[in-house]
Amino acid sequence: MDMTFNLNSGWLRAGALATAFAAPLALAAPAVAQEVYPSGDETLDWTIAFGPGGGNDIMARSIIEILNKYDLYPGDIQAENRAGGSGAVGWGYLYGQSGNPYGISTTSGSFVTTPLQADTPWEPEDFTPVALLATDDLVLVVNGDSEIQNIEQFIENAKANPINIGGTGTVNVDFIVPTLFAEKAGFEFDYVSFNSMSEQTTALLSNALDAMVGNPGEILGLIESGDLRPLVFSGQNVPEALEGVPTMGDLGYDIGVSMPRGLILPPDAPEEAQSWWIETMKQVVETPEWAEYIRSNTLTPTVIYGDEFGTFLSNTKNGFGQVLRSVGAIQ
Amino acid sequence: MRIAFFVALLAASIFYSYIAFADLNFMTRSGRLGPGFFPRILGATAIVMTIWALLDEMRNEDAPHGAAQQWRDVALLMALALGYAVLLRLFGGLVATVIFLAVALSLLNRGKPLKNALISVLVPAFVYLLFDRILNANMPPALIDLPI
Amino acid sequence: MDIFSDLVMGLTIAISPINILYLLIGAVVGMIVGVIPGFGPSAGLAILLPVTFGMDPIGAIMMLAAIYYGAMYGGTITSILLNTPGESATVASTFDGFPLAKQGRAGPALVMQAVASFVGGTVGVILITILAPMFAQVSRSFGPPEYFLLALMGMLTLIVMIGAQWKLGVISALIGFALGTVGVDLETGQSRYTFGSAELIGGIYFIPIAIGLFGLGELFYAFYSGLHKTGSGGIVEYDKEERFWPTAQDWLSTRITMLRCSVLGFVVGVIPGAGATIASLMAYSTERSLSKNGDNFGKGEMAGLVAPETANNAASSGAMIPLLTLGIPGSASTAVLLAAFLLWGLRPGPLFMEQNPEFAWGLIASMYLGNMALLAISIFAIPLFVQIIKVPYRVLGPCVVVVCALGTFSVHASFVETFLMFGAGIVGFFMRLYGFSAAALVLALVLGPLAEEALRQTMTISRGSFAIFVERPPSLWIIAITIALVVLLPLLNRFGNSSSGKAEKAGQ
Repeated sequence: MDMTFNLNSGWLRAGALATAFAAPLALAAPAVAQEVYPSGDETLDWTIAFGPGGGNDIMARSIIEILNKYDLYPGDIQAENRAGGSGAVGWGYLYGQSGNPYGISTTSGSFVTTPLQADTPWEPEDFTPVALLATDDLVLVVNGDSEIQNIEQFIENAKANPINIGGTGTVNVDFIVPTLFAEKAGFEFDYVSFNSMSEQTTALLSNALDAMVGNPGEILGLIESGDLRPLVFSGQNVPEALEGVPTMGDLGYDIGVSMPRGLILPPDAPEEAQSWWIETMKQVVETPEWAEYIRSNTLTPTVIYGDEFGTFLSNTKNGFGQVLRSVGAIQ
Repeated sequence: MRIAFFVALLAASIFYSYIAFADLNFMTRSGRLGPGFFPRILGATAIVMTIWALLDEMRNEDAPHGAAQQWRDVALLMALALGYAVLLRLFGGLVATVIFLAVALSLLNRGKPLKNALISVLVPAFVYLLFDRILNANMPPALIDLPI
Repeated sequence: MDIFSDLVMGLTIAISPINILYLLIGAVVGMIVGVIPGFGPSAGLAILLPVTFGMDPIGAIMMLAAIYYGAMYGGTITSILLNTPGESATVASTFDGFPLAKQGRAGPALVMQAVASFVGGTVGVILITILAPMFAQVSRSFGPPEYFLLALMGMLTLIVMIGAQWKLGVISALIGFALGTVGVDLETGQSRYTFGSAELIGGIYFIPIAIGLFGLGELFYAFYSGLHKTGSGGIVEYDKEERFWPTAQDWLSTRITMLRCSVLGFVVGVIPGAGATIASLMAYSTERSLSKNGDNFGKGEMAGLVAPETANNAASSGAMIPLLTLGIPGSASTAVLLAAFLLWGLRPGPLFMEQNPEFAWGLIASMYLGNMALLAISIFAIPLFVQIIKVPYRVLGPCVVVVCALGTFSVHASFVETFLMFGAGIVGFFMRLYGFSAAALVLALVLGPLAEEALRQTMTISRGSFAIFVERPPSLWIIAITIALVVLLPLLNRFGNSSSGKAEKAGQ
């Protein structure tokens, strides 16, 4: 994967990331610098594997803003959107910087699912893990007009009648979470796959679907107005806005799968770089700005560091692979 | 040329159908419409239609043929366009556009070297300013000055 | 009246000097991103979104919304002048827009498209103002069965596009459907025709194919027909003094079209996911079957340009309905607007307009102003754009190649898509030369995946029963409208024609 994109983002950079205008030649230099990590002379090459405005982009730029605000990183940080191929391009670029302590990237769901679907030269385990910072979790909702008031009624009904559940995509947590949940709770359902959250939401509102799963952030307005009724949440901790909704763990059906939002370095990055970033991220997650980011994006704060994150990634990947192979979605 | 195009289409539809029948299931295990349902129908229909149209074409010998002159100019422009695609990959948006315009105009708009030179500098400069500086849009990056 | 006090409040918010400035900036940027092929409103919005951080949300949304509907004005300009659609919703505008330019009527065509855009946009905002709650009901009644029927209805327009050489038209549509099957199969997650490429997981995007087939294909064809050798002239002889303004005939023959397509476009726009592209194509084929000059469509009929133009602008207004009343984005562009709402700490949903009246009504009021501003900007800019066709083709040609290539790249920063565009250009030339229909191919590429996915979703939901299509009231409505369009209208037309024919005979 040598496909790399250098979006010269004049306006983006003008704000928080003012000074960095160096050519993106991050790889050529680091061999020289052998003193303390990080050196203030090195520009940090931050790869965002998706376009501006998406979840990954917002997360990366939020972290960079915090790093700059609290002067946590001594040098310049240059963020580049290297979008394409559901993340394959951007993370492929990072993969190509093996051993470089000055390349870094944020992960999202595609970090696990893209290599399952396409022949990427890299696997999630190849990279040097820094930290898992948050997870995207899902809420199961039914139409506000539905007779089903809570998750117990839902499961009971699902055991008696055939039901369907909508979600976005198949190679995705949207499919895996309800599948594992149904297995544990002992009911069966038909999964209906949609292209986007908006299509599945209208399908549910039009009463074509019995239920759906989705990120709470995008449907909070509909939940608040009573058009959708939340039944159960897949994460460890229920976000503020969904107070009173049980988690799958509360019911005794913990499934332990979620989309990892974390931080990675290139493969075989030096140990001091990994431990420096772990220490730094420990400070980042304590800031009020980070709490605000978590809150406004309705993420679940789930923080684990270093090799534990590596294990998490590899478990998630294997879990996904297993479920998807069992239904024939991937070979 | 005409017949060749139809034969190429036929080959493409056979290839498409081959994959549809070999790799994609008509129905899923749970008895729903499978990933191969539409591709198989499409592929088979495409083969039939293309053969039908091809037979029509072979009967229709007196179809108009372009003059060699016409073909030469189209082929030239296509070759230039493909060359541009390669240049974009190698040298990025700005440099590739300058080279492409300079070469294309010197071949197509002969005898006006000054005007051609101006266009091949000003147009890329304008596009660069608009895309990169004002709209902050993606321009093809250069492969040559990036680490591989 | 509640609505009027709300609207007046909105206007007082919108008409502050700084907000007007933001609105104008948005309108101009929208025009520009619309003009560049490939660089549509969603790409423009996503890239300009970060600029609005730290701005006052009302000024920011006015600017972003102006970019969004402004792109619909700009998108048609290259459709008319170069046969290169600026973005997907203006593909249908090439069908009659470019022939009009070839006849030397580029000026009137551009003026009419600006007026049509204005009418569509303004009727759309009026409908939002007075009927938003009613249309919110429409937005929320669409499930997979309705989308499938809608896609089928759209495919009826294919029959119109297929043209005289029906076998070749059918093959063109089949190619489009086949391209539409590339990518991950939505239902099973299995990859189809991706050959392991990560770039193809998401499928073949519409833009590179449309730009290649129409823009480059037409260019190659122009060289084949020797246009580049004509002395100093460009595509056409153009005489500004005589023919800048549309004739009375142009106005009279299109006024009903404008109104009809405004409503049609708006309703299609209200349906999440259907959007401006489908609205413009449906408007085109509906008008063609309704028009007395139906046979002239595709050869430079003004109504054939006005119909899709009105519809795509009305649709972009209509798409605001699910966004404002349900918090559901109906298109890629409104999805970016939704992201902006969230970033500013707003919570879109059914209570949104109640909880944020200043914001919602300020936005709606600004859309009236924005459409007026865009009409003025367009009319002033037309003489400038018309200069393009005075450039000789041998100079213009290479520049068109540049714009098509860089425009395609700018959308997803993808070389694969850029190369696809070049490939589609070469194929497009041969298709044009041998009588295939690029329009049918592109339409099939849009509708094919929609139909396949919706049918398979429907069959999963109904567990294989087709009865679902007649059990749901919205489905029944669509079936009734389709039957009315397909069966009743042509019958009425024939009946009307034959009776007037009889009258003529009787008169003899």
